[in-house]
Amino acid sequence: MNPAIVTTLPPKTRHKFFSPARVSAIACNTLLELVRLKVFYFLLLFALLIIGCSGFTSIFDFQFQEQFQILKDVSLGSMSIFTLMLSILATAMMLPKDIEDRTLYTILAKPVPRFEYIMGKLLGVFSLLLISTLVMSAMFVIALYAKQQIVINNTLHQGAGIPPDQVKAMIEGVKSQTFTVSLIPCLITIYLKSVLFAALTMLISTFATSSIFTIFIAFTVYFIGSIEGLAREYWYSTPNGSETAKILMGLVALFFPDLQLFNLVDDIVAGNTIAMGLFVKTAGLGVVYTFVYSFVSYVVFAFKEL
Amino acid sequence: MATPAISIRNLTKVYPIPFRSERVLAVKNLSLDVEPGQVYGLLGPNGSGKSTTMKIVLGLVPPTSGTTQIFGRDSSMVDSREDVGFLPENPYFYKYLTGFETLMFYGKICGLRGAKLRDRAGELLKLVSLENARDRRLGGYSKGMLQRIGLAQALVQEPRLLVLDEPTAGVDPAGSREIRDLILDFKSRGITILLCSHLLGQVQEICDRIGILHRGELVREGKLEDLISIENQTELILENTSPELLGEIQALVNKSNARVVETRKPQTTLERFFLDVTGGNK
Repeated sequence: MNPAIVTTLPPKTRHKFFSPARVSAIACNTLLELVRLKVFYFLLLFALLIIGCSGFTSIFDFQFQEQFQILKDVSLGSMSIFTLMLSILATAMMLPKDIEDRTLYTILAKPVPRFEYIMGKLLGVFSLLLISTLVMSAMFVIALYAKQQIVINNTLHQGAGIPPDQVKAMIEGVKSQTFTVSLIPCLITIYLKSVLFAALTMLISTFATSSIFTIFIAFTVYFIGSIEGLAREYWYSTPNGSETAKILMGLVALFFPDLQLFNLVDDIVAGNTIAMGLFVKTAGLGVVYTFVYSFVSYVVFAFKEL
Repeated sequence: MATPAISIRNLTKVYPIPFRSERVLAVKNLSLDVEPGQVYGLLGPNGSGKSTTMKIVLGLVPPTSGTTQIFGRDSSMVDSREDVGFLPENPYFYKYLTGFETLMFYGKICGLRGAKLRDRAGELLKLVSLENARDRRLGGYSKGMLQRIGLAQALVQEPRLLVLDEPTAGVDPAGSREIRDLILDFKSRGITILLCSHLLGQVQEICDRIGILHRGELVREGKLEDLISIENQTELILENTSPELLGEIQALVNKSNARVVETRKPQTTLERFFLDVTGGNK
């Protein structure tokens, strides 16, 4: 017997119940898969979009406040949509494809617990979303900074003959309209919303029969989540509203996240400051939903007959 | 007595049919042992319960009743899989990975790291003759190459048991022979093999023991030579025999109670003939 090929003694004590190294191997492999599938091409689309938007606002005779508003609105809105689509599309194909190709069998036939497989896959998608959000944020900041510099130069040019104190005040005014501290919680919330949807999509894919079905259900949940706040407000404010409908609204609110809570873009565009309490509450809600969806994904997957 | 590599006791698996009261009995009260170092062939027509049995042994599907063990460890527990390598039928590995990266990935999920893992991956690529395709992505691999990289990944953590489901399905005769030779090589190294195949000729060449499943039940089980030998007949193969000698043998036979059942020229196999013609028999 060649010892290089087969060990002579059973490795009884090697296995660990939980191994971060195994999870990391699956997460890195998932990230590598998505990178090699060229999903980052959508970043080029985002770059073109914000460059186009920046150019568009310069053509027309907008006030600088309006120019910043449009740029923020388009950029943050696009980031929100792109990360959401990326999270759903990237996650939806994973489990069904691994089952169809029987790759899952080769992984689970190794000493890999099912929760580590789910955790690894999700962490791979979360990493992809983090990289995407950071790159898009950087592009957005660069575009906004470039816009700010153009506006400041124009202000200096137009301000010839105006007292320096007044010019300085005008420049400070421009700067205060560009970058605000509230941008950071807004970007974090966009990331958390995409992470939440990745976990939700993983949950759907554990019992779905195909990627198409998973994607369809995930977008349906997105639609429900987007309007449930309005529907709840309507039914609870109607004096003669049906009790059944109210209970139904409560159940919907329990199982599906109210996505209006995660929409901080409108506040940023309107120039409002995002209160720390609101941000912490929103972030906490996102983390809790992500954890619950991930855990239920594991439970469903643990009992799935492959 | 050594602990069996695989021990199956009173295994039954029933699949419910969704939205219907009917159930499908996939495996019925199956009991068998695979001894260490043995090549065991699990045979049966489609739907006979072979794949279900394998999946239960690998912990991919829970049994309805009964137990399965791998080297004495409950096979539903994850730690039992440290000793198992598995190659499913028609596997598609991650095609964006190269051969080397594939082995590195499977090694990492088995707890291997660093130089030891890199050496192991290189060693396995050499074993399955894929050194030249080491840095090529699996998307560009042929069917035979995929099966060989599949065998390599199954061996990455040095398991004592290999479970192979139709390892030569869809592979051309030359590739099929290479895989068969690899399996014989693993056998010579003391690795226990559970093999499912429809290619009965190949099973006959490789396996020490077979079990035949039919409609979920084990209908025959035992050593291959015991099962297929015809006890009251003897085969005598002669070379350069003259007609006179054959006549004398026939006369001797006629004098006894024996009977010549058949006289014929031995034939090579179609596989050997094909490989000779196509130059694959080097």
